[in-house]
Amino acid sequence: MADRAARLLAAAWLLSLAGCSLGGAPAGLPLRIEISHVVGDAPLQLGNTYRTAAGDSWSAERLRYYLSNFRLRRADGSWFVNPQSADSSRGYFLVDEADGASKQFQIGPVPAGSYSGLEFLVGVDAARNGAGAQTGTLDPARGMFWTWNTGYIFFQFDGHSPQSGDAEHALSYHVGGGGGATAHSVFLPLPAPVEVTADTSAELHLHADLARLFDGAHALHPASLFTAMDAAAAAQIADNSAGLYRIDHVHRLPKAGLAEGS
Amino acid sequence: MKRSTLLGLLALPLSAALIAAPWAHALIAARATPQLQVPHGWPAPHYNFAANPVTPAGFALGRRLFYDPILSRDGSVSCGNCHQQFAAFAHLDHRVSHGIGGVNGKRNTPGLFNLAWQPELMWDGSVHQLELQPVAPISNPLEMGGSLALAVDKLRGDASYPRLFAAAFGSPGVDSQRLLRALAQFTGTLVSADSHYDRAMQGREAFTPQEHAGLDLFREHCAACHREPLFSDFSYRNNGLDAAPRDAGRALVSGHPGDQGLFRVPSLRNVALTAPYMHDGRYDSLQQVLDHYTSGIQSSPTLDPLLANGITLNAGQRRALLAFLDSLTDDSFIHDRRFAQPHD
Ligand code: HEC
Ligand code: HEC
Repeated sequence: MADRAARLLAAAWLLSLAGCSLGGAPAGLPLRIEISHVVGDAPLQLGNTYRTAAGDSWSAERLRYYLSNFRLRRADGSWFVNPQSADSSRGYFLVDEADGASKQFQIGPVPAGSYSGLEFLVGVDAARNGAGAQTGTLDPARGMFWTWNTGYIFFQFDGHSPQSGDAEHALSYHVGGGGGATAHSVFLPLPAPVEVTADTSAELHLHADLARLFDGAHALHPASLFTAMDAAAAAQIADNSAGLYRIDHVHRLPKAGLAEGS
Repeated sequence: MKRSTLLGLLALPLSAALIAAPWAHALIAARATPQLQVPHGWPAPHYNFAANPVTPAGFALGRRLFYDPILSRDGSVSCGNCHQQFAAFAHLDHRVSHGIGGVNGKRNTPGLFNLAWQPELMWDGSVHQLELQPVAPISNPLEMGGSLALAVDKLRGDASYPRLFAAAFGSPGVDSQRLLRALAQFTGTLVSADSHYDRAMQGREAFTPQEHAGLDLFREHCAACHREPLFSDFSYRNNGLDAAPRDAGRALVSGHPGDQGLFRVPSLRNVALTAPYMHDGRYDSLQQVLDHYTSGIQSSPTLDPLLANGITLNAGQRRALLAFLDSLTDDSFIHDRRFAQPHD
């Protein structure tokens, strides 16, 4: 475990070096990713009531999750691997529905090229999950960390459902990485190749459809599944959490637009 | 007598001069700072200090934090309240931990030593890395009752900690990583390897014939689980305490029904100091522990096969085994001033 972690950390370090490129100038432009949480076609509203296909009601109070290990697939099948570094949380994003700024972030610098797909983990890779105390988005003080089986909470959905078997009708869906659980990987093909050049990049606008949390690969029923805090109980939620995402649209972004950082 | 006074008089101004010199400070501080040294014949440790090198200021900070109730919600409980040096950092006379507001936890407080060699921590192995262990007691409502974020906030607002953190890590800033790394510099260097047993193994002291007989019995009946030199193989096992375990133990972490009632094989170093015994502190004495192994083993589906038939010991063998267990006490460890509560 420690050995594998060390190797992966070393690899991450090499990657981070590669990301800096020669002479310190970034070897490309950043690529922006924006995420909107939706239910079907409408933006998710915390506290609103929605229905599952089976007719159960649910509402969301809190939605937070990690995305990490971004890769971009080139048209020729090779990959750009987003740099991560062992001594910071660079490349690990904590998305929080209640925090607008967390739903827009940048990966890269991305070398010029033509890209056909986006890949990422919903959660944190096993090496970093089992490593020591971290900072930034991975700071355990952010509350996305389990102590009864140490590791990050990959995906956290807290809400209510009148059908929930909990005394307070709560829904607590926590997918976690305790004990080296593996985070699910998501691959999204891009609708058309995205060109990154010396002076143009792109913004990939992702939709995460919470309806698919209940009606995804598995149909979840709040009456029987209302609390999941361990790997076995959360297995179906974990599967569904990886099926929320799609590319809604892609913007071309001139270099100047990126510099504004808006 | 006279000569030594004379020498003392000569030494006095000399040592005063030494203490005044800044390099001497560094020297004295460095000598006072433990490092993780791997005792002869021990395996490589699991916790690696490469990313968290032990420094005098870092260790001193970790030690101070360990004994400071500031880490608990209401400033009433420190790590050192439950982990007492004279008990090899266990909690003497407390069956289960006694935390904030006087509430009882559900498990017995283990001694703290040789933690860097433990692949996982806690009775059920719920903590996978030493640095992250303090998050558990700090945020446990039955122990220190707070949160990591709250502890960091309190340290940031404290009159002296920001300066101590800057000294320990070379730049200003109090964050959870630094807090956890400083604590690991303290807990990870608590090495206990200087018991009578260790010195006998190194040929520096001799076992009595009774202790020697105890060692032979130990190797025959106990060492398969309590493996030398750390006196644990760090596996999870059911040693037959209950027919129907009240605490699911390892199964809580692994989720496997076959792990019901399994707990980590605890180290037996300093065992004479760490009463009461077992994950729930049910036995007050080592006599009772031996009674358990000879006549109290409860059968259950997860009972370890090694104990299926109990262990047979006559009165003389019991005395020999107890004498051997006593030889595992490391007096220099429990009196090591570097690990004691700082007075400043
Ligand atoms: C209220 C009493 C209490 C306090 C306060 C407390 N502990 Fe503990 N400690 C325990 C108990 C009980 C366990 C065993 C818990 C378990 O296994 O479920 C434990 C376990 C540990 C372990 C794991 C030992 C092993 O062999 O696996 C370490 C390390 C540790 N504590 C360090 C600390 C530190 C550092 C602090 C302060 C931040 C602290 N403790 C505060 C009671 C306490
Ligand atoms: C099959 C493995 C196994 C064997 C053999 C075994 N033990 Fe244990 N021992 C354990 C486990 C597991 C525990 C912790 C059980 C618990 O708390 O639930 C334990 C706990 C103890 C404790 C309590 C330590 C503490 O800090 O609370 C003592 C003392 C002890 N054993 C002594 C012995 C002696 C002496 C022998 C030989 C006569 C022996 N054991 C044989 C597995 C074993």
